[in-house]
Amino acid sequence: MTNTIQILSIEKTGKESSLQKEHNNKSIKIIDGYFFSRNLDDQKFTKISKLISNDVSQTILTKKNVKKVLSSYSNFNWVVEIKFLPGVTDNIATTVKEIIKDNLKSSFKSFELGSTKIILIKGRKEDITKISKNEANPLIQTIKIYPFKQYLNNFKKNQFKIEKVKLPKKKYSKKEINLDISDHQLSLIGKLGIEENDKSRRGTLGLDLESLKVIRNYFSTIKRKPTDVEIETLAQTWSEHCKHKIFSAKIDDIQEGIFKKYIKGATEKIIQLRKDNFCVSLFTDNAGGIEFNKDWIICHKVETHNTPSALDPFGGAITGIVGVNRDCLGFGKGAKPIANTYAYYLADPNKNYQLYRQKNKDPMLPANFIAKGIISGVRVGGNCSGIPTPQGNVYFDDRFAGKPLVFCGTVGIIPKKIKGKLSHKKKANPGDIILMTGGRVGKDGIHGATFSSEELDPNSPVSAVQIGDPITQKKMSDVIIRELRDENLYSSITDNGAGGLSSSIGEMAKESGGFIVNLEKVPLKYNGLYPWEIWVSESQERMTLAVPPANVKKVIKRFNARGVEATIIGKFIKKDKAIVKYNKTEILNLDMEFLHEGYPKLNLKTSFPKIKKEKKKIIKKSSLIDKLHKLLSSPNIVSKEFIATQYDHEVQATSIIKPLQGEGRVFGNATAIKPLFDDEKSIALSQAAYPQYAETNPYDMAGCSIDTAYKNLIVSGANSKKIAILDNFCWCSSDEPDRLYQLKEAAKACYDYAVAYQTPFISGKDSMFNDFKGFDKTGKSVKISIPPTLLISSIGVVDKISHLTKMTSDDGDILLVLGNTHNELLDSVYSKIIGYEKSKNPVVNSKDALRTYRNFEKANKLGIINSAIGIDLGGIGIAVTKMAIASKKGLTIDLKLKNKISVDQFLFSESQSRILVSIKKNKLANFKKVFKGSDYTIIGKCTGSDVVKFKDNKKIIRGKISDFAKSYKQNIKGL
Amino acid sequence: MNVLVLSGYGINCENETLHAFEVVGFKGKIVHINDLIQNPKQLNNYQVFAIPGGFSYGDDTGSGNAMAKKILTNLYDQLIDFSLKDKLIIGICNGCQILINLGLVPSLNKKDPEVAMIENKSGSYECRWVDVKVNNNKSPWLKNISILNLPVAHQEGQFMIPINLLKSIKANNLIGLQYINNHKKLAKGQFPFNPNGSKDDIAALTNQNGNILAMMPHPERAFYHYHVPNWQNNTSKKFGDGYKIFMNAKKFFA
Repeated sequence: MTNTIQILSIEKTGKESSLQKEHNNKSIKIIDGYFFSRNLDDQKFTKISKLISNDVSQTILTKKNVKKVLSSYSNFNWVVEIKFLPGVTDNIATTVKEIIKDNLKSSFKSFELGSTKIILIKGRKEDITKISKNEANPLIQTIKIYPFKQYLNNFKKNQFKIEKVKLPKKKYSKKEINLDISDHQLSLIGKLGIEENDKSRRGTLGLDLESLKVIRNYFSTIKRKPTDVEIETLAQTWSEHCKHKIFSAKIDDIQEGIFKKYIKGATEKIIQLRKDNFCVSLFTDNAGGIEFNKDWIICHKVETHNTPSALDPFGGAITGIVGVNRDCLGFGKGAKPIANTYAYYLADPNKNYQLYRQKNKDPMLPANFIAKGIISGVRVGGNCSGIPTPQGNVYFDDRFAGKPLVFCGTVGIIPKKIKGKLSHKKKANPGDIILMTGGRVGKDGIHGATFSSEELDPNSPVSAVQIGDPITQKKMSDVIIRELRDENLYSSITDNGAGGLSSSIGEMAKESGGFIVNLEKVPLKYNGLYPWEIWVSESQERMTLAVPPANVKKVIKRFNARGVEATIIGKFIKKDKAIVKYNKTEILNLDMEFLHEGYPKLNLKTSFPKIKKEKKKIIKKSSLIDKLHKLLSSPNIVSKEFIATQYDHEVQATSIIKPLQGEGRVFGNATAIKPLFDDEKSIALSQAAYPQYAETNPYDMAGCSIDTAYKNLIVSGANSKKIAILDNFCWCSSDEPDRLYQLKEAAKACYDYAVAYQTPFISGKDSMFNDFKGFDKTGKSVKISIPPTLLISSIGVVDKISHLTKMTSDDGDILLVLGNTHNELLDSVYSKIIGYEKSKNPVVNSKDALRTYRNFEKANKLGIINSAIGIDLGGIGIAVTKMAIASKKGLTIDLKLKNKISVDQFLFSESQSRILVSIKKNKLANFKKVFKGSDYTIIGKCTGSDVVKFKDNKKIIRGKISDFAKSYKQNIKGL
Repeated sequence: MNVLVLSGYGINCENETLHAFEVVGFKGKIVHINDLIQNPKQLNNYQVFAIPGGFSYGDDTGSGNAMAKKILTNLYDQLIDFSLKDKLIIGICNGCQILINLGLVPSLNKKDPEVAMIENKSGSYECRWVDVKVNNNKSPWLKNISILNLPVAHQEGQFMIPINLLKSIKANNLIGLQYINNHKKLAKGQFPFNPNGSKDDIAALTNQNGNILAMMPHPERAFYHYHVPNWQNNTSKKFGDGYKIFMNAKKFFA
C-alpha cells in the first residue's frame, strides 16, 4: 500500500528557532506533512487542514498556492524529508487521527495516516548532510535529500508516494528447536540467536554455552524439544539484566555473592543496629521505599539505559526516564512519580573520536550528538509527563567514548495504607486476570534485556531501540493513581520494562504460583509479529495488572474512558507452571522454579589488577586566579545551568531548593522538593560517583561516592536518621578477574561506609558490560571500556523548612571549612587541568566525617549555620568561588597554612567529608561550643565587595566575582 | 464559589492549580475532559473554569492545538455561554496555548484564532523565573496588581500577532502581562528577562471583557513564599506573588 502526501503546512516563522540556532543558519524552513490512505476531496481537505495546522503561523499548501509559496523560497537549494520507518511509533499521526475522527465523526471513518517533517535549507551539500544526520536517526527514520528544484517538480507531479508498514505476512506454526547439536552450534544460538527457516538469525540471546546445556538437560528430562518461545523466555529471564548473575554469584570465598554479603548485608546490619522502622520496602519491589511521615511512603529507583542511548541517544534517554517512572508506578500498589533525577557520564562533546563498530563502516554516533540527544530525551520525557526534574549532574571523560552512561531516577510517593491495607504489599492471587494496559506491542526493543547484558559490537541489533511516548504513559498513570489504586481494584501491578510481558508476568506469577497467557489477545501496533516477539517485545508505556475477576469490567471501563487501552491477556494460577498459548496452541510450558532459578550459578574468581599510574604532567606555571578560571570553566566543574533551565523543575509546585541557587545561580549539589501541601517535611536528593578514582583505588572510589552523596544531604538540612541510598554499579569487562576484583573492593566499601554512616541501601541496579569493541578510523581494532562507575543516589527527609540551608553568605559572615584537608590531589580536576604533583587519592575517614556531620546537623538545627556548600571537585578554591558567585558577595580567604601543605594543595585538594560554611559573627561562640573537639579551620570572611581576595603572608591576590561567574557559566564546547 | 479545573490527555498542573484556588476560598473539582464532554451541563455548577498547564497531546500539531480542537468539536458553545456570563476563565501555560488556539482571547474580530503561540526565540525549553507587570488592563484577574515574580516553563511561549491586530490589542488594553527587566522597565525582547522573544514582551492576553485570562507564567507555582527562589533571604511573607491572581478571582465573587 502506498500513501500520498496530501496536507502540507509551511511554517511562517516559529518552529525553526531551535534548528536555526543549532545549525547557525537562518535559512531554514519547516514543513509539516501528512499522508493519508484515502484521497481527500476539497471540502475534507479544507476542513482537515484547519484542524491540524495553524492559520496564523503556518501557510497551508494547496494546489493553487503551492507554486507561489514555494517559489518564494527559490533561493533555498535543498530539501530534507524525514519520515518514520515502517512500524515505528508515529505519535503525531496518532494525535492527528484522533482529532480528525473526533471532529468528522462518521463522515470519515476508516483511514490510515502518517506524518513527515520536511526541512527547506539554503546551504552547502555537506551542511545539509550534517543537518539531516542531526535531525533524524536512521535507526527509526528515513532521510531523503532532494535538490530544491527537483522537489518542486515532484510536488507538481504529486510524486510523494510513501511506503506504508509492510511486514511480510507470517503464518505461525509452532517452532521446536533441536538442542542436540554440537557445542559450536549451540553457542551460535546463544550469540546470534535462533536460526530462522531462511538461515537468518534472530539476534543475540546472550545465553552462554553452559546455560544452553542446562536448558538441553531440562528438556531431555521432560522428554521433549523446547519451543522457540521457551528459549527466548529463558534468555530474557536469565539475562544479566534481569537476574544480576554476577552480583549473586559466588566470588572467591564469598559464597553468598557480593549483593547478599555487602549490599543487602549492609542494610540488614543497619536495621539490626538502628532498630527504627524507617525502611519500608527493600530490594524486592520495582523501587525501594522509606517512611516519609506517619501517613506516606516515598520510594526511589535509579536505572541505567546505556546501550540504547549509544545507538539512539534521544530514544534511549527518553525511554530510560519514562521507564524508571514506571518503576515508581509499579512500586507497591502504585506510587505517584514526584521527581526525576539524572546523571550522565559522557565523552568530550568537543572531540571527534571516530569509532566504528565494523571495520571502516557502521560508525558510532559523534560524541556531541550523543550528549545532546541524551539531554533532550530526558527533557522531553520528564517535561511531557509533568514530573519535575530537579536533580542531576554531568561528568565528562574520554573513556565514555564507546559507551555513554545514562542514569535515570524517579522518586514516588504513596499513602501507607489503602483501604486499611498496607500499600507496599501486593499479591497476585490465583484466578486474578492478567490485564495489560497502556501502549500496544510492536517490534520495539526486541532483545533489549539480553543485549544490554552484552558488549556493544557489530552484531548489536538495531531493533533493540525503543520509542517513547510519554503522553500515552501519562494518561495511563493518571488512571492508575487517581481512579483505581485508592479503591483497591487490583491485587498487584508491575511495569513492562526489560523483557516485556515475559518478565513482568513471570515476576508477578511468583506471587500466585503460575500463569496462563493467550498471546493472540495482546493488542499489536501492526500485524506480522511472531508470538515470541509479542512475548519479549519491550514496547514502552505498558503496565501489567492482576485484577480480581469481579473488578475487571470496571477497571477496563475506567481505562477506556480516559482513552487508554486495557486488555485481558490471561490469568494467574496456583499451579507452579508458566504456560503461554497462541491461538490455542501451547507454545510455552515451563516449571516456574526452572524459569526463575534454573540458570547455572557463576563461580567467579578475582585477581589484583595492575594499577595504571597517572601520567606525570608538568605543572603549568600560572597565577592562582588563572588556575581558578581554568578549573571553573572545565567541563566537570562548569555550571550545568543550560540543563537545569530546560528541565521543568517547578511542575507540581514542589520545588523548594532549586537546581540553581543564589542570586548568582550556582548549580547545586543537592535539591529539595516539598511533596505535600499539608506537611512541611521535604525530600532532599543528591548523587555522586567518582569514576576518576576507580583505577587507582576502587575501594576509596566507592567510599567517596557514599560520603559525598550522604554529605550533600546533611549539608542541605536532611535528618541524618532518615537518609537512604541507592547503588548503581556500571562496570566493564565483568568476566575479567581484575575487573571483578575492583567490583568486589567497591562492594566491600559499600558495606563498610553504609554501616558506618548507618544509611541503608534500599534499591540498586547494575550494568556489567559497558565496553565498546570495534575499530578506529585507521581500521585498527580497539576496545574502550568505561572506568568502573558507582553512582550512589541519596534520598533523605528534611523535617522542617527552617532546616533547609542555602549557599549564599552575607556581609560580615565568618567562613570556615569543616573537616580536614590533606594532600589528596591524585586524579583530581586540578591534576588533570593544571598538572600532577606527587599525591594520593582521597580516602574517607568515616569516624572524622561522622563527627563533622553530626555537629553540622546540630548546629544547623540551632540556627548557627548561615550558609553551606559541600566541598567536592576543585576543592576549597572552587567552593569559595561558587559561594561568592551565588551570593554576589566578596570573600577574603586567609592562606595561613598548616601541616606543610602548599597553597595549591590547600585550595584544590579533593579531600572528602568537608563542608564550607559561613556563620554570623555573633554565632562564633555557639559554633565553637558545638564543634568542640571537631576539626575545623576559620579561613576568612564575607566582605560584601565585588572581589574574592586570597591573602598569604606576603601578598594579596584578587579576582573579580563577575569574571569568575563568566568562567563558571561558559558554554561547554561542542554542546 | 466553585472552580472546575480541567484534566486529561497530558494536562499536568491540575493538582497545584486546584490547591491554589482552594486555599483562597474556592470549592473545586478536577474534571477530566471526557467527563465534561459527557455531561457539559455540570459547567452550570461552576463560576471559574481553569485550564492548567501541561503537555496536552504532547504538543503534537502545535502546543495546545489538539486539545483546543477537542474543545472546539465538543464543548465550544458551552464554553462561549460560560464566558458570556459573569464568570471567569483562566488558561495557564498550556492552558493559555489552548485558549489562544480556541480564539477565546483576544477574540477581537472573528471566531477563528487570531494569535499563534510559536517556539521560543532561544530555541530551548525555558524553565526560569521572570518579572511581569500589569499595564492598563481592566481584567478582574489582574486588579490592583503592578508587578509579579513568577516562573515560566515552556517551549512555545512566543505570542505571534499580526501587526494590525497588535494595534487593536493595544488600543483595547488587552495585553495582560508584560515581561520586565531588572530595572522594572519593559524587557524589550531582551533574554532572559523576556524568556521567549514575545513581541512587546507579552506574557498574557485577555479578552475585551477581561474575564478570560491567558497567561504563560505559572501563578500556582509561585503560591507560597517557599516557592520563590532564595526565599530563605525573606521568610516574613507567607505567600508568593502568584497568590494575588487567585485572590483576585475570589474578590471578584465576594
